[in-house]
Order: sequence, then structure tokens, then C-alpha cells
Amino acid sequence: MNGAGQGTDGAIDARRLGQEENFDGLRARNERIAIGAPITVRILRGDGKHDTEWQEFSTPYRKAMRVLDALNAIAIADAPDLAFRWFCGSKMCGTCAVRMNGREVLACWEAVEPDMRIEPLRNLPVIRDLVVDRTPYEQKVAAFEPWLTRARPYSGFPEPLSHRDIAHASKALDCISCASCYSACPVVRLGPLTDFAGPAPLVQLGQTALDPRQDQREVARALARSGIFNCVSCYKCEEVCPAHIPIVSEVIEPLKAKAAQLLPRMARHSLAFRAVVSRRGRIDPGELMLRVQGLRAFAVLPRLLRLLTRGKIKPLRTLLLLKTAAAGPANRILKHAGRSR
Amino acid sequence: MVVVGGGAAGCYAALNLSRAGIDTIIVCKGLVGKSGASLFAGNLVISGRALGNTEEQARDTAEFLIKYHNQFLIDQDWAKRCGAWIANVYYPELEEAGLYFRRDDDGNVVVSPGKIRSIAANVQGNSGVPFMDLRRKQVIKAGLQTLEETVVTALLRNADGSVAGVFGLQVLTGEYVVVLARATILATGYSDRLHARSTGTREMSADGIAMAWHAGASMVNLEMQWWHTNDVAYPPTWQRMQIYPNPMLGSEKSARMVNSDGEEFFDQQKDDPLAFGPYTVQLKALARQVHAGKASYSGGYYAGFDHCSAEEVEAYTTYAKVYRQLDMDFPKSLIETAVTAHYRQGGIDVDTQTMASSVPGLYVAGGLGGHCNGLIALVTYDGKVVADSVAADLAALPQPALPEEQIASERKRLESLRENNDAPGTPCAPGEVKEAIRALMWDKAGVEKDARGLNEALEEFSRMRRELLPRMRAKTPVRAANYDWLDAIDCVNMIDAAELVVLSSLQREESRGPFMRRDFPDTDNENWLTANLLHKAGNGYRFEKRAYNLSMFQPGFARANNLEVPW
Repeated sequence: MNGAGQGTDGAIDARRLGQEENFDGLRARNERIAIGAPITVRILRGDGKHDTEWQEFSTPYRKAMRVLDALNAIAIADAPDLAFRWFCGSKMCGTCAVRMNGREVLACWEAVEPDMRIEPLRNLPVIRDLVVDRTPYEQKVAAFEPWLTRARPYSGFPEPLSHRDIAHASKALDCISCASCYSACPVVRLGPLTDFAGPAPLVQLGQTALDPRQDQREVARALARSGIFNCVSCYKCEEVCPAHIPIVSEVIEPLKAKAAQLLPRMARHSLAFRAVVSRRGRIDPGELMLRVQGLRAFAVLPRLLRLLTRGKIKPLRTLLLLKTAAAGPANRILKHAGRSR
Repeated sequence: MVVVGGGAAGCYAALNLSRAGIDTIIVCKGLVGKSGASLFAGNLVISGRALGNTEEQARDTAEFLIKYHNQFLIDQDWAKRCGAWIANVYYPELEEAGLYFRRDDDGNVVVSPGKIRSIAANVQGNSGVPFMDLRRKQVIKAGLQTLEETVVTALLRNADGSVAGVFGLQVLTGEYVVVLARATILATGYSDRLHARSTGTREMSADGIAMAWHAGASMVNLEMQWWHTNDVAYPPTWQRMQIYPNPMLGSEKSARMVNSDGEEFFDQQKDDPLAFGPYTVQLKALARQVHAGKASYSGGYYAGFDHCSAEEVEAYTTYAKVYRQLDMDFPKSLIETAVTAHYRQGGIDVDTQTMASSVPGLYVAGGLGGHCNGLIALVTYDGKVVADSVAADLAALPQPALPEEQIASERKRLESLRENNDAPGTPCAPGEVKEAIRALMWDKAGVEKDARGLNEALEEFSRMRRELLPRMRAKTPVRAANYDWLDAIDCVNMIDAAELVVLSSLQREESRGPFMRRDFPDTDNENWLTANLLHKAGNGYRFEKRAYNLSMFQPGFARANNLEVPW
């Protein structure tokens, strides 16, 4: 049994913190409703073009009931025309993800709650009711050409390969492409304001890009169109991933490290940030701007003045390259972190 | 060419055809390499001498396939060809394309011990996801055209009776599609949802069997239904989630099963030392418990890993996820389990050299064929065979002509299921008809059956045809993503296929492996070591027996009580 905040290996799981206090642990979700008690389900219905409306249904709780069981019961009893997509019903096909009470869940996997509001995933066009068009996600995956292109010819079965070398890709291979993380991502939500591919396509990319057998030129080509440095590491993707993939720490961060190594220009902001902290023991926005933008930093004078008057940049400190006492330790830590990559 | 189905067989057939430069399109009711196809969960059995298999282990693998998985109802020469291809081509080709066969940190391929050895793609219990994802990406890479979430509703015919292509409905838009092809390859899978509890996924409704039958194809061994003995009893959506009896990779341990009195009645390491052909052995063990009143096929018995440590189970497998998601104490808790209709060994009768059905222009690949049980490696081989034979036949295959009359009549049929204002009586919901078919099959054609129940099922199907189908229609006539309409289309196929299954079950007057007749409890090798062929004859049908070649393994007895037979 796992207490709230504890993962299966006993480590603290940030995603579960506070759940017990909110009576929202797994046990509570599975057992707090009596068999036969009514479950209220409000579903956002619509044809994808015109107005949407919330419709309310009620269905009796059945043993260990999942969200998908509730939807199926409603479809049989009240609304045969309710559109919702599912195929396997057992967390393999990844097609039944919806938003339940504001968070992305796999309908087949998540326990019902006594009062549920169910909506389609975000960041994908709605076709009808809870069915979304997966095409934009699929197109982003296909654009990465996410298949193995070997740098060296295949040496025959079984080829030399150890789990240690492929550990990150192995995590990414657990992906069932349900697009829950794609819906939860606030950067994807910004739409065309950024060129961020989104967590789900990056996980798909990680399956080959983090595979030691993959040709690094292919990795660079794919990363160049990933917009990966727009990721703000908010961990929303990890929070909702039903396959429990550590998306940020084991996929996006290793991919960022690869980008820094293969495409340093693309990573110049992160590399400059790191260099400044390592050398000076703190971040200096002035030096960061100069390193990333060079002379172009002076092109937008009003912005520069605003930063000056608000004390965000301090030219004197930047010019003298003043260090803080943390410079030594920061240098040591970052050197170490660099080696572990 | 048109391939119907986006699973292991369909994808591989299409990839091979496209490699041969033949224009091919995949039409898939679900999503290519996802939906039903991703369900393949477990291990890849090592056949032949691959990965250090001894001569004895290679022989055991063949025996396990022929005896434990097919109860001798298999062409043993085909099995030989297939086994050699798997050992020499299958694994290297998958690995070369990028499939990750699980290694340990020292670089050894993790292999399950025992007489039958196996490996996993990435994680045991989840192997189907990376495996089929790879196929999906190979299909994209090859630039193959696909029509996804598109149900094929009818096979189109040329004037000479040969198959001219398919008619289908795009579920998300409600638009119709016609694909004309010189050859049509059905690869809709080995499972369906004809029973109340089925491993078949939502989209499966025996379409392949029903459509091929209407086109005149012969069927074989439709009664040979396999069952999962220990799938999760609750919640309903997890009905196809198995508590694997198979040993965990790299460990001697496997799941055990306990009856309603808490007595253990199955531990694979003890009860099935072959350790990889357990399903029938397990089912027979359960049948004895049911007879003793200590379990039922719908639940009341339990399975789990309470003799293992959590670390052991979770090192290489995903088996703990069910318990964890219900917050059951793992591994100490056992979970309630029930039987689920799994796959059908039988299916459409094919020539195993070519995968051609008895109808010109109609080919079959994978579990839908009646020649084997449809394990993923075997159906992949089918994909190769069918692609080779279609490529060889190409010049002789007729150019299809657009059969306008058939297209008009199929449109009319589908429209009447969507919007049927002239229908007599009160409307009848497709979802309810589906449930009724499944409940009937569970009651009358479940694990144990007899002539009386099977005949009652036939009468009930006639009543449904008379009273329910004419009133059946979708609640609203909307076109886009109208799954209610799709249910109505499915129901028609389901009744047709279920009826053929019941007829075939009545015909086989014996019990064999997972096929259990209360009125014929013996395995009868004198009379029934044969294929049970079902031919279309005018508006009716006729049965025929065909002997099997037994070149490698023979049962070695004439007659014995099926529950006492070790396979």
C-alpha cells in the first residue's frame, strides 16, 4: 500500500502529495462510494462546430467502477448517441483519454468520482462530444520520422546492447500515445506562439533519439524542428501520464542535453545560463542577454531602458564580472552534472 | 491491393506488398498498430535454435504449438515452415528495424527459463505496444496509404463471383468509401466480442467471418474457442486484463490460482511444467473447481503473486499494475478473476501455401484464418506468405469493375440502420441487441456446452432476426462519430457469425482442449482428429471433415476423457 506522496518504491512522489489530506488517495477513489449509490456525470457534448452544452446523467456505482464503465452504462441506459472513443479498455491502446474534473485521465484506468465533469482533451480539435481529432498530434510525430536509422550496419540477432545504454528510450517506449500530456501542456496551449512540438511527440521522438543505435545526424535533424527549449519544465505532463513515464526528467531533459551537444546554437540560452551561473555563482540577466543576443540586445532600446530602470540588469556588475560566494560550489556542481549526462 | 485490418498480420502483409512495388492500402476499423493490435501483452516465444535454444527446446516449442495451442488441429508441415521462418527471419528483422528485446545491464537478452523460453519487447506485459508501434511507424515510413477508423461493411464482387474490393464507412465523418482491388486480404484478427466477457476489443465484431461467409468462403473449426482462465472480474472494462500464468522473465515464479475456499488449484510451475502452454491446462483445472462448486466461470476464484516479492514481479513485468491501481496490497492480495472468451483457433479456411480462401480474389492473413491459433509470430509469417502469393498471382488476378448495383444496395442497407423511419414497432437500441447476443453466447455457448443449449441459442437467434433486427436503428441520425450506428452495423455481422459458431459447435461431437461438450466429454481421436469444415450451400450450409497431416506429433491414443488429457 502506498501512502499519499509515496511512490511504489517508497520514494516521495510529488504528484501524490496532499492527496490523502484531500481524501483523494487511490484507496479513497476505489472505495468511498457504496455499490449502487448514484454517480453524477456531467458531460460536455457538442458537434465540434457549434455550441457545446453540459448534459447531466446519473448511473449506479458498480464494484471497482472506472470512468469508462460509467460512460458505457450511460450509453446503454440513456444516451446511445454519446460519442466517446475507446478500443481496448485496459490501458494498452491509449485512445480513451478525457478530462475528468479538470485533469486528464484514461477513462478505462481511472476510478469514478461521485460527481464527475467529463470533457474532451484540450489542444486537439473536437469531432463530436468526447471524440477528438488525433491528426495534429500524429502529424507532429510523423514529422520527426521516428524510426531507427542506423549509423552502423546491423550486426545480427542479438546485437550488442545493454539496458543501461537504452534506459531512457526504454522509459519512452512505455508510451501508449494517449495524448493526455499533450492536452495538459500549457505551452502547447499557446498554439502557434511557439514551435514547441509538445510532450507526447517528444516522448515518441525519445524512443529513437535516446536509443544508442540511432544515427546522431537523424537525432539532430529531428531536434531542430522540436522547439524543445520552449518546454518550461512545469511537470504537468508527468503529472497526468497514465504510463508513469518521467517525461521531463527521463525524456525531455536528456533530449535537451542531446540538443545542447548536437545543436549548440539551438541551446544557446540554456548553455549561456549555465555558463553564467557556473562562473559567477548567480544569474546575471545582463550577461545572459549579451551572451544569447549579442549586439542585438541593444536593438530594442525601450526594453533595455525598462530593464535598467527596474533594476533587472546592472551594467556595472556585468562589466566587472562580479562573482558571489556561490561561484565555487556552483562551478563544481555543474561540472559534475555535466559529466553525468 | 486492399488489406482489411491494421494488426500484426495486416501491417506485415501491406509492408511486404509495398516492398514488392505493389500499390496497397490498409483499411482499419480501429487505428493501425493500436486498438486491438496493441493488446498482445506478453512474450515472444523463442523457436528453433535461436538464442541458444537446444535441440530439445526447439522440439518442445513445436510440440507446445501443435499440442497445447492447437490440439493437433493444425497443418504440421505449415508449422515446420513457419517455425523455420520465425527462427531465421522474424527476430533479426524486428531487431534490425529497431525493436528493443529486453536486455539486462550487462547486455544479455533477458530470457524466461523453462522448457519453452521466451523474450519480451521492452517490458513483459506491455510488449504489444512497442511491437505494434514499430509496425505503425514502418507503415508511415513506407508511405502506405491508410484509412483508419473505417469499418469495411461488405466485400464487393465481380460478375464472375471473385472479390473486387471493399465497401466501407468512415466512422468519424460518416462518409462512405469504396476501394477496388485486384486482391482483398482480410486480416481482422483472431478474436471478437461475441461473448459477454471477451478479450476482443470494442471494434471487434466478427466482421471478417461474416463478410467472408456472405462472399461464399468456407469456414473451419469455428467451434474451437479459446478462453483466458484468469482475467480480472471487476471492473467490467478490465475484462481482458489477464493475471498472467506465465513465468516472469528471468524467474522460476508464476501466478497461482485459488478457489472460493482459499485452496490453491493451479500453480503453473507444478501443474504445467511445459510452462508456456498453460491456458487449456488452467481451464481444465478451473472446470474441476466449477464442478466441485468452488468457482464459477463468471468469478468467485482468485489469482495473484502472493508467493513472490514485489521487486521480483516488477523487475521485468507490468503485472502489478492492476493491484496497484485498485490500491490492493501487492503482492499479498489476490484479485477475483473470471473466464473470458479469448481467440478462436478456427476461422476462414485457407490454403496454407498461399493464404487464399475458397473465393477467388479473397485472401486471409493471421488469426482470422482457420489454420492456426494466431499467435503474433505465426500471423506475421502469414503476412509474408500472403504477400508472396498475391505478388505471384498478380498477373492472373482480374481488373475489378465498379459494381454500382452492389454499392447502391449496401448504401441503402447502411442508411436504413442509421435512419429507419419506416421501421415497424418501437425502435430497438443497437447497444441492447449487442448485449443480448453476448449474454446468449455466454449462457448457451460458453466454456461448457451441450446440444440442448446450442439448439436453444439457434432458436433465439431466429427470434432476434425476426423481432429485433427489423426494429433496430440508431437513436439519432447524425453521421459523424455515430457509434450507435456502428453498433447497429456490427450487430448484423455478430448474429451471422455467432450462428455459424453455434452450428459448428453442434457438429463437433467430442470435447477437445478448450472445447468442452457436456454431452460428449471424451476427446475422440478416432472420429474427430479432423478439420470441421463448414461450406456455404445455396442459402444453407453443409459440413465436411478433412484429415490433418500428423508428420511430427501424434496424440497417441484413440479416446479419453478430455479433462484427463494433459493438453
